[in-house]
Amino acid sequence: MTVPLGAYIAVSAGLFFIGCAGVLVRRNAVVILMCVELMLNAANLALVAFSRRFGAVDQRGSVFVIFVFVIAAAEVAVGLAIVLSAYRNRPVIDVDEIRTMKG
Amino acid sequence: MPVGPLGLDPFFWAPLRLVIAVALALFLVLNGALLQIYLERKIQAVIQDRLGPYHVGPFGLLQTFADAIKLIAKEDVRARATDPWFFLAAPALVFCPMLASWVVLPFAQDIVGADLNIGLLYLTTLGSMTVLGIVIAGWASNNKYALVGGLRSAGQLISYEIPQILALVSVALVVGSLSMIDITRSQAGPLVNVFVLPFSFLIYFIAALAETNRTPFDLPEAESELVAGWLTEYSGMRWGTMLALSEYGNVTVVSSIVTTLWFGGWQGPGVDAVPLLGVLWFTLKVYGVIVVMMWIRATLPRLRIDQLMAFCWLGLIPMALLNILVVAVLALAFPETKIPIALASWLLVIAFIAGIPFVQRRRLALLRARASASAVRAAS
Amino acid sequence: MSFDFVEPVVFAVLAFGVIGAGAAVVLLDRITASALLMALTFLCMAGMFVLLGAETIAAFQVLIYVGAITVLILFGVQFTKQGGDRSYALFFQKQYPLAAALVAAVAIPVALFAFSFTAPVPQPGGGDIRPLATSVFTDYAFAFEVASVLLLAAMVGAIVLTTRDQREEAARRRT
Repeated sequence: MTVPLGAYIAVSAGLFFIGCAGVLVRRNAVVILMCVELMLNAANLALVAFSRRFGAVDQRGSVFVIFVFVIAAAEVAVGLAIVLSAYRNRPVIDVDEIRTMKG
Repeated sequence: MPVGPLGLDPFFWAPLRLVIAVALALFLVLNGALLQIYLERKIQAVIQDRLGPYHVGPFGLLQTFADAIKLIAKEDVRARATDPWFFLAAPALVFCPMLASWVVLPFAQDIVGADLNIGLLYLTTLGSMTVLGIVIAGWASNNKYALVGGLRSAGQLISYEIPQILALVSVALVVGSLSMIDITRSQAGPLVNVFVLPFSFLIYFIAALAETNRTPFDLPEAESELVAGWLTEYSGMRWGTMLALSEYGNVTVVSSIVTTLWFGGWQGPGVDAVPLLGVLWFTLKVYGVIVVMMWIRATLPRLRIDQLMAFCWLGLIPMALLNILVVAVLALAFPETKIPIALASWLLVIAFIAGIPFVQRRRLALLRARASASAVRAAS
Repeated sequence: MSFDFVEPVVFAVLAFGVIGAGAAVVLLDRITASALLMALTFLCMAGMFVLLGAETIAAFQVLIYVGAITVLILFGVQFTKQGGDRSYALFFQKQYPLAAALVAAVAIPVALFAFSFTAPVPQPGGGDIRPLATSVFTDYAFAFEVASVLLLAAMVGAIVLTTRDQREEAARRRT
């Protein structure tokens, strides 16, 4: 008995919603970045599942996944740089407190 | 349908084979660590003109057994303020990737755990997982020195992954495959890859010394720095796992990679007739590389953390990139032969070795100028 | 006596790992535990890639996500002092049932819809690095070059953002 494609998509959807909820709910900037990574992972799973199940020769899904890896890595690096330099300015990590542009 | 050497049903044989493979790998790791600790002490002793262990057993051979028994019998000390879960999990996080990388090492013609066709990629992946364990170990100890030591070690490890992977990529470019068995088979007879790609060998060897935290890059775990860095709070068998088993296991894995990629792996005289002889040649070559690493440890002083980082980012990475550029261009221009690549690599090695005095002289002049300028500023 | 039951069992374990660790990342208060459970999510995700037959993608997943991004996040955690109190935004502190109902109302139909996808029997995977590499370097070579420029820009940007200006630091220290 092989695992149906829908199961992989359901896992991907579930993880995406968990990541989305995390971005909306959590206040810590670094945790928000972590949840964004979860969302990107969910998208990767969906891409690979469709790519592997719908055609062995066509590699477009996997190629897209490689580019998503690249973008996720770049985004985490720059995101953390922004968070750290904002933290250096005013040592608050709570995104609800970083509201004003001044000071 | 019975299958396998014992003639069992595959339903039983597959899990049994898994258990045997893991037990064999563990056995090799533990005995390898025992042997290497003894070798290290004896080699350092010989180089430092003293005797080394000689009390316990003939020539001190049982010394490491005695040390292991002492470590196991030690009291399990855990400071109260350390994080309960992560402090206990960190040794496992450091040990497991190393154990998992033994599965693709080719000991002989058919004696390999699993001939993955992404063997090299798998090894680099596992090498990058060790960093996580070290950061967690440093953080969970709730100790300023351990934290800084862990972060320093993590910085060193992730920096030196880059020239390591770049050097492996250049070998994959020439061989055309990432599978360890294919790489070994591509080296016909005595014309092993070290004659074709010596520059990659040099880069990989130096980066591997840094990856396994060996001297001259062993700042994170040196006894005179930061009390012992990220290992400070670990004692007894936890320390034994993290330091002895993981480090010497990593050294063995890295030496196996060097042997497979640059020295022909299991090949040697008499291997075609008796395939099992390949294991002997492989082991001899691996331990040859390990002895060279221990020789370097006994001879060279340690690099400071900023010197270490500068050497990686300003020295090794440009050299590794230049190496890939040269190898890729020549492999594309002359796809039939390997001679142009060999010539270019040897030229690069000679240029590197001959260029060191010039670079050092310029750096010394720069440092002297900077020192005198700051002295002038301080005096005025 | 065959191994047909292995794949669904492994999938169930990995799916539980992915969803459970993901939920723990969002729900836990201790940020280091969140970071490590995120690494566990990535590892289970790599397992799923292997189950789907994409071993190269699985190796890249572990190399990039567990080996690099998790370490980056841990560095970020060490360099910022975490507040400690009130991890969740105000709405979700007071109205847990409403929040859970909202999330479920959207998530459950999506998950049920997901099961309606059917695919033909999976082709044997077996080592996909060569076709993948051929695709990346021939059909999508331009995208590959653009991705490398993006990485360069990200590196330069991250360094510029976090460089301490020496004169500004000295001025700040004097006042």
